Amino acid sequence: MENLMAALKAQIVEQLNLQEVKPEDIGDDQPLFKDGLGLDSIDALEIIVLLQQHYGIRIANPEQGPEIFYSVRTIAEFITAHQNKQ
Amino acid sequence: MNIYIQGTGCVSPQATATEGPFPAAVIPWQGARLKNWDPDYKQWIDVKLIRRMGRVIKMGVASAKLSLQEAGIEKPEAIITGTAYGCLDDTGVFLTKMINQQEELLTPTAFIQSTHNTVAGQIALMLGCHGYNNTFVHKGFSFENALLDSIMILREGRTGSILAGAMDELTDHSFKILSRFDLYKKEPVTQDSLLRSNTHGTVAGEGAASFVLGTEKGAHTKAKLSGLTTLYRPAGKAEIMADIEAFLAAHSCNREEISLIITGRNGDVAGDEWYEHVENNLLPEIPVACFKHLCGEYPTASAFAMWMACRILAEQAVPASAMFKGNVKGKQQKILIYNHHKQTHHSLILLSAC
Repeated sequence: MENLMAALKAQIVEQLNLQEVKPEDIGDDQPLFKDGLGLDSIDALEIIVLLQQHYGIRIANPEQGPEIFYSVRTIAEFITAHQNKQ
Repeated sequence: MNIYIQGTGCVSPQATATEGPFPAAVIPWQGARLKNWDPDYKQWIDVKLIRRMGRVIKMGVASAKLSLQEAGIEKPEAIITGTAYGCLDDTGVFLTKMINQQEELLTPTAFIQSTHNTVAGQIALMLGCHGYNNTFVHKGFSFENALLDSIMILREGRTGSILAGAMDELTDHSFKILSRFDLYKKEPVTQDSLLRSNTHGTVAGEGAASFVLGTEKGAHTKAKLSGLTTLYRPAGKAEIMADIEAFLAAHSCNREEISLIITGRNGDVAGDEWYEHVENNLLPEIPVACFKHLCGEYPTASAFAMWMACRILAEQAVPASAMFKGNVKGKQQKILIYNHHKQTHHSLILLSAC
């Protein structure tokens, strides 16, 4: 889980071109959107593409989005759960 | 109805992205390509927004912000831009991803930022400007047509202030492709040798310039935009001469009233013949200044010329680095800008001191 979260942070920084943020600056449980890291709806689309590209995961139910994308930990848990299912 | 230029902003290969006088020193360059002198864009653009912006968007937004600062207004009532190439770099990123990823899993940012009207849209979003927003993509007339639209809207009385501008960027890909058309010089040139090189080809450039236009003369007013016209593919030098004469007559301007002519001379022997002919035969006594040794050749370079002319009229000083022939005397009252892009798109802009 720790390794996956570290990889996710680096991928998020790169994919979203977060120029002022280093991967280690992102807290495991820090909210990614709004008041947290300040991401927006376009970033959500970028993260959806990131999950497809790097982990082969498609978000089937868009209503799950806010829950899955809440923090790096929730995304990592979602990826792990998806990988365990396969 | 008079149209006034209330504020100007310019991002170019020179250190122009500041308020105040024309830069005293020319940033030296050599070779066939002038690259933009990038200011610290974070002074105008939030870091959360800047990460999604390509270079031309940053250039356009910065020039817009500078012009608004200079005009002393926060939000114009309309935004009109001109660009020939649009957001070329982001278009390249998007198309490359499309090919590499076989049209699947494309990220939204490069697509959103790759359209030609992104700059005008981004400025409107940043300023919360919900008024008229338009972008002209008309090759070498992109800036002129943005300006023409602005003039017409102001004359109709539909709005009080318009932000009008033009921007074009040069990328590694576009420079390579344009070079294949044999547009640029093969021999080494510099800012000092370009204008008198008298050989084939020119140098590539890029830049963004913005202007706040209005109908009321105020404390911030820099110059009056007295006239604008375009001529596509004139049959010959006689036609452009007749056109300039008619243009000056239409704006009640005697040749003797012109303090300075700014021509788009770019070192290409064939293209410069047009300017040489007009300078020698129509306006022989008028001092000549040039600008493409400062910004390079690109389809909206006339916006740089208009920015330079505004600075000259506002400061009442012609930079030595811009002078090509003759000596300026007395007050700078009227400046005529004559530019053409690739000998096909000819334009005339007349500015007057306020």
